[in-house]
Amino acid sequence: MGGSSKVLGLTAADQASLLRLAILGLISVVAIGSRLYSVIRFESVIHEFDPWFNYRTTQYLVKNGFDKFWNWFDETAWYPLGRVVGGTLYPGIMVTSAAIYNALHLVNVPVDIRNVCVFLAPVFSALTAVATYQLGKEVKSATAGLLAAAFIGIAPGYISRSVAGSYDNEGIAIFLLVLTFFLWLRAVRLGSALYGALTATAYFYMVSAWGGYVFIINLIPLHVFALLAMGRYSNRLYVAYSTFYALGTLASMQIPFVGFQPTFTSEHMAALGTFGLIQLVAFAQFLRGLMPARHFQVVVRGALVGLFAAGAGALVVLTMRGVIAPWTGRFYSLWDTGYAKIHIPIIASVSEHQPTPWTNFFFDLNLLMVLLPAGIYFSFRELTDNHVFLILYSLFAAYFASVMVRLILTLTPIVCVMAGIAMANALEAYLDFRSSSNNDGGGSGDAAQPADTQNSSSTEPSGAKRMHGWLGRTVVVVNLMYFLWMFQFHCSWITSSAYSSPSVVLASRGPDGSQHIIDDFREAYYWLRKNTRADARVLSWWDYGYQLAGMADRPTLVDNNTWNNTHIATVGKIMASDENTAYELARRHDVDYVLVVFGAMLGYSGDDINKFLWMIRIAQGVYPDDVSEQAFFTAGGEYAIDDSASAAMRASLMHKLSYYRFNEVMGQHGFDRVRRQQLPTKVELSNFAEAYTTENWMVRIYKVKELDNLGRRHRAAMAFDGGS
Amino acid sequence: MRLLAALALALVLVLAGAAPSFDRLRELGGQDRDGVAVLQLDDFIKHVVREDRDYAVVVQLTALSPQYKCDTCHAVDRSVRAVARGWRRQQQQQGQQEQRKIVFASLDVEEGEDMFRKMGIDKIPRLMIFPAAKGPHAMANPTAREMKLSPSNARPEGMAARLAELLGAPIRADVPTDYTKYATTAAAVAGASYAVVLAYRHVDLRRLGRNAWAVATITFVLLMTSGFMWNRINAPPYMGQTRTGDAVLFAPTQNQQYGVETQIVASAYAACALCVVLLVRHVPRVSGPEQRTLVTLLVVASLVLMYSYINSVFRLKMPGYPYRLLLP
Repeated sequence: MGGSSKVLGLTAADQASLLRLAILGLISVVAIGSRLYSVIRFESVIHEFDPWFNYRTTQYLVKNGFDKFWNWFDETAWYPLGRVVGGTLYPGIMVTSAAIYNALHLVNVPVDIRNVCVFLAPVFSALTAVATYQLGKEVKSATAGLLAAAFIGIAPGYISRSVAGSYDNEGIAIFLLVLTFFLWLRAVRLGSALYGALTATAYFYMVSAWGGYVFIINLIPLHVFALLAMGRYSNRLYVAYSTFYALGTLASMQIPFVGFQPTFTSEHMAALGTFGLIQLVAFAQFLRGLMPARHFQVVVRGALVGLFAAGAGALVVLTMRGVIAPWTGRFYSLWDTGYAKIHIPIIASVSEHQPTPWTNFFFDLNLLMVLLPAGIYFSFRELTDNHVFLILYSLFAAYFASVMVRLILTLTPIVCVMAGIAMANALEAYLDFRSSSNNDGGGSGDAAQPADTQNSSSTEPSGAKRMHGWLGRTVVVVNLMYFLWMFQFHCSWITSSAYSSPSVVLASRGPDGSQHIIDDFREAYYWLRKNTRADARVLSWWDYGYQLAGMADRPTLVDNNTWNNTHIATVGKIMASDENTAYELARRHDVDYVLVVFGAMLGYSGDDINKFLWMIRIAQGVYPDDVSEQAFFTAGGEYAIDDSASAAMRASLMHKLSYYRFNEVMGQHGFDRVRRQQLPTKVELSNFAEAYTTENWMVRIYKVKELDNLGRRHRAAMAFDGGS
Repeated sequence: MRLLAALALALVLVLAGAAPSFDRLRELGGQDRDGVAVLQLDDFIKHVVREDRDYAVVVQLTALSPQYKCDTCHAVDRSVRAVARGWRRQQQQQGQQEQRKIVFASLDVEEGEDMFRKMGIDKIPRLMIFPAAKGPHAMANPTAREMKLSPSNARPEGMAARLAELLGAPIRADVPTDYTKYATTAAAVAGASYAVVLAYRHVDLRRLGRNAWAVATITFVLLMTSGFMWNRINAPPYMGQTRTGDAVLFAPTQNQQYGVETQIVASAYAACALCVVLLVRHVPRVSGPEQRTLVTLLVVASLVLMYSYINSVFRLKMPGYPYRLLLP
């Protein structure tokens, strides 16, 4: 920082750190601010489907305390099975919110728990930026760190999961992911047991927050293994990994949902194996002192190969004999991409489990995608232990992100760091004015070296000094600034247009640009809450389970925690059966109300008729004799809902509940605005009675009729009452 | 339902015929390599569509001749044959006493076209089960039924499990070991390990070292981030075509892509990244200030052009996108 001039009594170094602090502060402000679109445009509520469960459990935790929360058996979910909530969730996010809530109340800030939940993810995104800065500083320089922090602050790939009102596990998990990796890298660099223990602590927090912790417990051992294979064993590595693995695994087993899994499931075996391996390598290092070098090499190589083969073989054998639990279906579908399609339609049915086309990457990461390869290249130039980690991380995260759309989320941090490294390299090379001031004077060119270590200054001593003329320099810097400038616009636009539209509340614009809020979901749930018995069982597709429980406070049959495929298939079967069968099944499951979401009036394409095929597929997987996907297509193979629809389609409960009486508003020649088809002309319903339909017909609630007093079929009873 | 009604009709028509004979079906099965009785229409009517059978028949209605181009038929046929083989072997192991009378049969559309038309069968392949109506293993409801072919029970193991459940018999599929697959895998592994050994012996890894690894890593990451796995899973066409037959490189929607897009986009990313690397590492080494400025300008120009190209392609695929760089 050339010169000893002081500003405001601060030395250059102090100025630099003050500037860094200020920049980080601004990045945090931007990170939080750009996630608030949805709250400003709509209101401060939980916006998505899934997070309603987190919100409900957080409320429970705040109200009843930790012990009760831990032992909570929720009998209103998965009626009649119930759900052991404490043992089947990742409590991290609830405990975090409750802790913040209690701390604020301790200092007499009477904030509502809802607001804590709504703003949790944006606040943690600011923390993520700070952690990313530390990570970038750890692997390259403060410049790279600041750039990486700025990138992750606004990258849409991360914003997609952390806007205000998205109270999801990922909201805090990405911070913990980055923090764990940063602490790990520092632990490896310093060989410090303290940092190893801190890594384990961060890892424990991560385990408590998100199932994605499996990524960490596989990536870190992989890093260790790669370093060993590269012949880079060091006592620093040994200390860091042994501390981390022992403490981290013990800590992770304290989460009931994880329990003893680290000792017997395949997902955790790599970490265990690497732990054993590094002990052996440490022992070998000890032997090295006692043996001639040539013998030693042979021994080590043989042992390494032999042990690896034996370990992998033992893993396979134990897995096949069932001692070690095999990979779960979700993980299988990551490796064998055809697996889910055949065996588990419920996983294939979730749109975020689809593979990723390239537009999604460019959409979410834009400029960073271009800088990523450059960053990998620069990492290879330096290739310290830390850079090995970064490279492995980008390899694996890139693969996973390409198989599943939602895993772009785990790719985003490394892309930001890599892009930060690339950008910092470029800027350091072209924005370093120390040499240009020396240009005419011909002073020492030492300071003008670009960041790479193998610089050619020795071969070209005077050339390095006058590296860039003002023209080249300006052009490059202006160009890079222009890219960053456009990137920032891109991010804001994507955030505003794609990731800030809640699914609980919808908005449409009139022809004059005025905004019209569509609030049908809450209308329906509120109606249920106010007009039905507290123990009325509501049947709906699982997507709406958490919301029903959270907003309507009524027992549900299935919800977004899709642990029981049979139960979900039963609901699918009820929806796909004809009215009489469905009635019988619904009565047997004590269903009082049936709720369907119907978008034909508004053109809302995420409605139940569009999801219906998946319901049928899932039902067919369990009840192949009763439900057949083929029967729901017309002879021409079309998915029709109008009068040309197949008999099974027209008879199905879903079709009837959706289109019942819809003619009356849309007219005889009405039109389904989603499917772009004519409406069915005649829909009869006798066993279910329409209870409530919301303003825009988006949610329709039906009551399952009681048995007829005279033992007649409802159809006959209706005909009798009708006087025919 | 129409199918079953038609079957009942056929039943009435032929009731006057000869008695149903398990032996005849078994004889037909014996002529076949896998023990599947390949039926003539006549046999089908005489020995399968009968209510007084004391044996169960599993029939696939199929179209195997190449003119129909029915891939699913062949897949289902392979499964049926595997199940039939497994059943035959199991019966042989059990010996003569206490045999379950189950026959696997096949009726091709060429044989039974009229019949199929009469029955209103519009979709093929189908798997029909005709349970035994008499005898020790008679079912309570002996009407013919169809076994739905879902992705899982169209494969041999799934089909065997489902049939076993439906018929209450220990049916297991005999899936032939795919030795060619093992052989190719073994050959590939051997070749790869030999290549590794060769490389280890003859190539100075230190010298080749980082750059080779870097190129491999970057190639992999670029492929992955430009939709390679999407192509693998969804198998899109390599390119699109307009009505006039011109090639279309980019699918016009966000959620679809052609195979060639991955290659174009990956190369464009690589070119941009290469420009950045050149700027940082190589441009400073160009001797002579004028040349250096010229090279700088060239590299920056190509960087901007390449990036603008990616951006314009993205605009093409996402019509509402408001930002553009140099190119439209």
